[in-house]
Amino acid sequence: MLEIRGLTKFFGGLEAVSNVDMTVQTGQIMGLIGPNGAGKTTFFNLLTGVIRPTRGSVIFEGEDITGKKPHNVAKKGMIRTFQATNIYPDFTVLDNIVLSCHLRPGVGFLETMLHTRSGRRKDREILDRSLAILREVGLDGLAHVTARNLAHGHKRTLGIAAALACGPKLLMLDEPLSGMNGEEVTETMKLITRLWEKGMTILLIEHNMRATMSLCHKIVVISFGKKIAEGTPEEIKAHPEVVKAYLGAGHA
Amino acid sequence: MKRAFSSVLLAAGLVVLPLVASGPYYIHTFILAMMNIALASSLRLISLSGQIPLAHGGMATIGAYMSALLMMKLGLSSWLSLIIAGLGVALIATLVGYPFVRLKGVYFTIVTAFFGEMVVLTAQQWQSLTGGSGGVYGIPGPDPIVVPGLFTIDFSSKAEFYYLVLFLVAVNLAFIYAIEKSRVGLTFSGIKQADSLAESSGIDTIGFKVLAFAAGSFFAGIVGAFYSQYISAIAPDSFGFMFTVYTLVYMVAGGQKSFMGPILGAIVLTLLPEVTRSFKEYVPFFFAAVLIAVIFFVPDGIAGLALRTTWWVSKKLGMKHA
Repeated sequence: MLEIRGLTKFFGGLEAVSNVDMTVQTGQIMGLIGPNGAGKTTFFNLLTGVIRPTRGSVIFEGEDITGKKPHNVAKKGMIRTFQATNIYPDFTVLDNIVLSCHLRPGVGFLETMLHTRSGRRKDREILDRSLAILREVGLDGLAHVTARNLAHGHKRTLGIAAALACGPKLLMLDEPLSGMNGEEVTETMKLITRLWEKGMTILLIEHNMRATMSLCHKIVVISFGKKIAEGTPEEIKAHPEVVKAYLGAGHA
Repeated sequence: MKRAFSSVLLAAGLVVLPLVASGPYYIHTFILAMMNIALASSLRLISLSGQIPLAHGGMATIGAYMSALLMMKLGLSSWLSLIIAGLGVALIATLVGYPFVRLKGVYFTIVTAFFGEMVVLTAQQWQSLTGGSGGVYGIPGPDPIVVPGLFTIDFSSKAEFYYLVLFLVAVNLAFIYAIEKSRVGLTFSGIKQADSLAESSGIDTIGFKVLAFAAGSFFAGIVGAFYSQYISAIAPDSFGFMFTVYTLVYMVAGGQKSFMGPILGAIVLTLLPEVTRSFKEYVPFFFAAVLIAVIFFVPDGIAGLALRTTWWVSKKLGMKHA
């Protein structure tokens, strides 16, 4: 589904991402791990067009999308979440989802202004779809709460729900478990598994090793912008380079 | 129900206003208040998408010159000129908007302020077209509206201009209200709150910001065109930088958060200084004082204050009823 070839990004003289190759197969949960500052989020930004790569290409479903603008990348079906600002704080939970349904057959400007029957019907459809997504992630009870008042875990879940509302083919989650308590982590892992069972392809950046190892089918490890290992969770656990990157050279 | 009633009452009051107002000077002031409502409300429309331009005076200037020149050099009808001036300003806003909106926050504001000044300087220097610093004089008024056998409106009195501007403001506010309540308004607000998130969910944030800028500027252009037909003259600095700043003050003092904010701000701040004419040279001080008072004491503006007062009064009245 997603093919990355020789992806490289220089910031001035610093090579933040260096010649990374990677493939995400349809129906797979692919993990991307690495120590802090390894270049994981930069990598996400390169894939989604937030920043342009210096070299290399990103091929999504056979189409070269390198350097396309983020909203055009999103239209192709690659939807990401953010570590920090992943919600609209002043909207209700429901409106967060309604706005994220933007890519669905939209309601025309005139339709809304004139309250036409077709406009009302489409509004209704978007509302129904939004409520269905909230039920799916378990936030339906909080639909009318202003997003800024949610608990941290619920905010993170809302971020995922908003991404789902965009109708992704590839869901890219940037540390979805960060800052969550044990129970929230379990719930979110269950949610990710459920989405995968329904056929979603997922690319996951995560710090929580236990979660990454149990969720992902395949893992790529990045350190200082370079890919140092790729394989199944078992292979990664045993890989000497990975152990060195995480625990320091002395342990290898 | 109560709300519909007060709206009807307000509309009726605005319609009979010229009949009870004592003299043309007051009607002139009401016309200015109406223009300021349209300007402050359209400025707020742009601000919904998270950007505050200082080009509103410049946009009104372009609209005024465009309408005047279309009528005088090409002999177009006043109504066509008014519409073309609005659309022309929207087009210019779209063209300059694409580079401008890429700048965020205060950088956008600064660049639009310079654009406004550039408009003034262009109007001063491009003498063959604009008549230079002296401006354009003898601009014809609006073409008469004739309904055979019923009535003729020939814009010979200020009251007729008042009704025209009242109509323009009503259309302007209806549009802005509809935009704000639509999914376009929701999208503007989303972009204001988290533009990278909006962009990543497939929203063309640059396109929407330009749309907001162009739509708000459209109404500024219409106001400028109306003004040139009303005063029958336009000078490069008719809508100068301080004028733009005042528009901003109407919006902020009135209350940026609510639809009614810029409307109330424009009415109060246009009428108050006019009540005592001797007070006029102190207007900038007055505006500064109001702005400081609002920022410190009523952050949600005059609209917020009005809302709280109504709530308080209705609570008192409610207690009496109970």
